[in-house]
Amino acid sequence: MTGAYGVGIGWRPEISGFVAGLPGLRFVEVVAESLPHSGPAPAALADLRARDVAVVPHGVRLSLGGAEPVDPARVAHLAHAAALVDAPLVSEHIAFVRAGDVEAGHLLPLPRSREAVAAVVGNVRRTQAELPVPIALEPIAAIFDWPDDELTEAQFITEILDQTGALLLLDIANVYANARNRDTDPVDLLDRLPLDRVAYVHVAGGADHGGVYHDTHTDPIPAEVLDLIGELCARHRPPALLLERDGNYPAGDVLRAELDAVATASGYPTVT
Amino acid sequence: MTAGSVQPGGGPAPLPPPAPAASHPPGSVQHGDLAARQAELVAALVAGAPVPAGFDERLVGIARGALLRKRAGDVARHWPLLAAGLGTDWTATFARFAATRPTRGSLRDGWDLARDLHAAARLTGPARDELAAREATWHYRGTDAPRPRRLPALRRGDGTVVIQFAGRVHTLTLPGATDRSS
Repeated sequence: MTGAYGVGIGWRPEISGFVAGLPGLRFVEVVAESLPHSGPAPAALADLRARDVAVVPHGVRLSLGGAEPVDPARVAHLAHAAALVDAPLVSEHIAFVRAGDVEAGHLLPLPRSREAVAAVVGNVRRTQAELPVPIALEPIAAIFDWPDDELTEAQFITEILDQTGALLLLDIANVYANARNRDTDPVDLLDRLPLDRVAYVHVAGGADHGGVYHDTHTDPIPAEVLDLIGELCARHRPPALLLERDGNYPAGDVLRAELDAVATASGYPTVT
Repeated sequence: MTAGSVQPGGGPAPLPPPAPAASHPPGSVQHGDLAARQAELVAALVAGAPVPAGFDERLVGIARGALLRKRAGDVARHWPLLAAGLGTDWTATFARFAATRPTRGSLRDGWDLARDLHAAARLTGPARDELAAREATWHYRGTDAPRPRRLPALRRGDGTVVIQFAGRVHTLTLPGATDRSS
């Protein structure tokens, strides 16, 4: 995205009214697979576009990290989604969600191997060939790792970005979750990533279950994640940060307070 | 990170039935065979297959549980009365049912469970009505994606009859119907 969009929020039908009532909002994300295959965009999104709020389709089922070539029909839908909302870019995950015809139902981690880099790069290039706009790639939160990593996380991500020219969608809550669960330093990862390639940043809440931190998107943002936003912005402030909430929706004031906290942590104007 | 669910309209087309789970026993796959290794891992997470060699069994188990809870939430959005009828047992009931069944999309996962529970006489009245309305509207063989019924259809609910005509669903309460809550 060109220029600074500041603080945004993931648009979901359940909070459509809340999102419409944010006076300073300049961008939202929509789950790409929820957009229709034909016909117009949902009226609420069309209203946001009429206010010049940018809408970024965020894919969750492309399976860019799958060993098989990405499904052309899914790529075509992502390209259609971008055109439908006149998006400045789209985003997807560095993950796989199915193997053969079996759906995992979730984003699964890849081995940090050269073979996996090649699989992702091939699929990103196939996707880029059909897209009318740039794509940003998001590293995921992983509850477990593969046993035989050859590359560090920073090397793995950087290699994929370098070979594809894609932008980075950095999920700061995933950085926190992975560092906490692996007992590593999240700031060290920030120091090793190409922060000038960040298109925007995801922020979300999570919770600890049985000693493992889960990136739930249904809990409050931990203070440590807000602190990491500060660490990130001290190094390179991203053009935009987006709050993701996917259920257990709190009252409007609670969501407004979270958006304000993200604005404060990043130094962008409040949108509430 | 988020994951969407398959919906009958608007979302991606329902997926074909899943292939049989992992064709390789754990540990038999050589490094360099990413497709087979991914298939092994997915089978362990969603089809009850053993955790592949080298992975942390405890953490993969935690991921498996988180996946089932997430699926339970997605299915509850498609089948609100089915989920509500089970109350606090919903997540555990769905997780037991789904532990070795890869998802076929939330609509079909809930449908399969509703039919199982109906056969076991374990559906509440509202959940029976919910199932009857779906059965009257869609033709679902259980082996492939549901298709809209082109012809009128009639299904018994809980002291009700659900009639679908030209795609519109009408629920009639039968004379003499009493206890709707059982």
